[in-house]
Amino acid sequence: MVALAVILSDLLFGMMLGCVFAVVAHGLNLIWGVVKVVNIAHGEFIMLGAYGAYFLNVFGGFNPLLSAVVDGALGIFVGYAFYFSFLHRELRGKERITLRSEMVTLVSTFGLSLFMSNLAVVAFTGDFVGINWSPGTVALGFLELPLGALYVTILAVLIISTSVVFLDRTYIGNAIKAYSQDITATQLVGANPTKVASLATALGFSITMAGGALLTVWIPTGINPYMGALYAPISFVIVVLGGPGKMLGSLLGGLTLGVVIDVLQAFVPVSLAYAVAFLLLIPVLLFRPEGIVK
Amino acid sequence: MRIAGLGVTFFGLLALMLLLLILPFAFPFSTSVILINLLFYTALAYSINFITGMTGYVSFGHVVFLGIGAYALGASADVYGLDPVLGVLLGAALGLVFALAIGLVTLRFRGVYFAISTVVIALAALNIVLELPQLGGSQGIILNLGFQPYSWYYTIWGIVLFEMLITYYINRGKLGFGIRAIKSDEDAARSVGVNVSALKLYLFGLSGLFAGAGGAVFAWTTSGVFPYETFSLTFSLQMLAMIIIGGVGTALGPILGAVVVYLPSYYFLTVAIGTQLIIIGFAVVVIALFIPEGIVGTLKRRSASLRELLE
Amino acid sequence: MPTLRTEAVSKEFGGVQALKGVTISLPAGSTLGLIGPNGSGKTTLLNIIAGLEKPTSGAVMLGETRIDHLPANAIVKLGVAKTHQIPRPFAEMTTRENVSVAVMYGRRRIKDTKRSLNEADRLLSLLGMDARRDLPASSLTVQEKKRLELARALATGADVILLDEVFAGLSSDELRDSIQLFRKIRGEVGFSALIVEHVMGAVLTLAERVVVLEEGAKIAEGTPDEVVHNEAVIRAYLGFEENDSPG
Repeated sequence: MVALAVILSDLLFGMMLGCVFAVVAHGLNLIWGVVKVVNIAHGEFIMLGAYGAYFLNVFGGFNPLLSAVVDGALGIFVGYAFYFSFLHRELRGKERITLRSEMVTLVSTFGLSLFMSNLAVVAFTGDFVGINWSPGTVALGFLELPLGALYVTILAVLIISTSVVFLDRTYIGNAIKAYSQDITATQLVGANPTKVASLATALGFSITMAGGALLTVWIPTGINPYMGALYAPISFVIVVLGGPGKMLGSLLGGLTLGVVIDVLQAFVPVSLAYAVAFLLLIPVLLFRPEGIVK
Repeated sequence: MRIAGLGVTFFGLLALMLLLLILPFAFPFSTSVILINLLFYTALAYSINFITGMTGYVSFGHVVFLGIGAYALGASADVYGLDPVLGVLLGAALGLVFALAIGLVTLRFRGVYFAISTVVIALAALNIVLELPQLGGSQGIILNLGFQPYSWYYTIWGIVLFEMLITYYINRGKLGFGIRAIKSDEDAARSVGVNVSALKLYLFGLSGLFAGAGGAVFAWTTSGVFPYETFSLTFSLQMLAMIIIGGVGTALGPILGAVVVYLPSYYFLTVAIGTQLIIIGFAVVVIALFIPEGIVGTLKRRSASLRELLE
Repeated sequence: MPTLRTEAVSKEFGGVQALKGVTISLPAGSTLGLIGPNGSGKTTLLNIIAGLEKPTSGAVMLGETRIDHLPANAIVKLGVAKTHQIPRPFAEMTTRENVSVAVMYGRRRIKDTKRSLNEADRLLSLLGMDARRDLPASSLTVQEKKRLELARALATGADVILLDEVFAGLSSDELRDSIQLFRKIRGEVGFSALIVEHVMGAVLTLAERVVVLEEGAKIAEGTPDEVVHNEAVIRAYLGFEENDSPG
């Protein structure tokens, strides 16, 4: 009975962690699926969101949930800035993204990643910091769930589902979907491709930074300038697992990864659990590049 | 003016290597140390040039081969007392083997997916090594190889020389055409008979071989192998920055890139290396967006006379 | 020069039968036209022969050798080359270098750079493209790019050339020139050709025999004259108008 409790709690924790991973990856998924570019500096924007939450906490007493909202708002501006500095030149007037543009974005965002993480070291110092936020626990049968993690999970799922609904039910959302399938089709729907693409990017960054804020609840001592180097690959794996461009795929990929890591940790040391989780990418790319579910 | 198809650049580089060969006899140790590091970075730049420079497949996780080479030397010296020079050969061999194995799987993936899978592999390798007590786990391996600047210098010099010659050999002649075709349009290359998979694998293998050799030398000069340092993505990033700045795929690019990336850092030593990386990161962004061919490429494009001269 | 044959080749893509047991034969030195309405599977058949896709069932034979399981570049080395419907030149290389790649990596496996470049020049002359030799391939006009596709295919030393809509999108003058050019090259070089076309004028003039596909199946085969008067063929091309009428 105790064993069952342990397994269940492991599973539950894995899923909650997975939800946070999912929202952190969701922004990447949105941009990747719609604009078809991969932002190598994705991890650095997560880091930005996390530090945002940290400073809002230190100077304003904001808890991570509130910070997520603030970060999300900031993220919109950041996203627009990113689109017009990095992507506009490559995408403007094009019907389909070329291989060359893919490579240019890959390399330029890699440079951005270098730039941002090292600038962060200078600006924030390399010290590991964290937010102390413990709203208590709630009992669920024989399990004790930390409320902080629970709230974050709820908010994470909310963000992802809202985005799905937004894409399905609103006019702009449909324009974004049209763009992701066929750029010329966007104009047929009556929308301006640049406006659509830049909005999608802005939303993606908004979600990413909000995700970074939410992530802080799970890493009470882990906020540091180089944290992007861990969460970017995690995001990439999640997007590939769920299928690039499939919005609910973030949730699926995140849950899968969270559970895999958590379950593996019961049998092997943490590092190996992560190693295996990362390597999952390879067989998925080999055999089901569209994602593990149709 | 070309002799046997080889131009000014080739002889210029040979002359440079000759100069570097005799330099240590004229100057004291301190110069050698800068040169050793510069040559080390040049070696890394040439190694990633083989894959990323020539085919356009961006290997973000390339540091994994550096790590493999470093651990090859570290473990063999520590456990078997293997002579470091043999350790370097071992590093090269293992680098080659792993590159072929990894490449067989990952080179099937298109651009972005290839790049991501290399990162994932590098991270997985780091995490695996951390859990292997035979390789020192998170503590790494401390070696007692002593201060051997002349051995270091000539070993890395030899590696760079080989890389240079092979780069030339590949760029001239049939292989060069095939590679440029692949870089332009892989599928079209296949349609005219180029064995794209074999060629990519061959280049990836070369890049792994030389990165492995370089990694072994790194372990030798630092007299130790430490996982976080050795599998650091910063190395990958610096390697890419060097060829992007210098000019991808060229013979001159890696050296130029190494000079631009490494030398300033030597003077930046008083300031944290982080600042240097900020500048490099910024440079990469600007170059990727506005001057994608790097120094060599852009000069070649702008001036017809330089086109013959620079390679 | 061997005969190229497809034997009951079928291809299924996720529930759709693109090809249904198609058997065609291309004897040495002959020209076969492959026509049919959109979606009839012509390009799929061509891709399968060239090794870009694998058939779900059936086989492709080059003489006595079975080639459908081979990778595309191996098939080129056996003497079968295909042009691209939408030209795909190596953009950053010159026209001459584009052709040279094919010379080096094609069937003749010529290693020497100089010899390859010379051979490339010879072929480009044949196609009237001398003046464009040293220009980057990306700067060529569409018609020139199509000629480059043909030049590359020829440069591989192929016995069998698969032409994917090379005559599309040309003005009547350009078309006439292209047909003449093709005749001339065919006479000088000597190869078997499988021409997939929508431009009837080209096919009917150049092909000795024509095969007609509709929805993945072969519905007619014969001389151009026979095919043009074939009832099933006429229905296939005009039939969809009947189906479209309301009620």
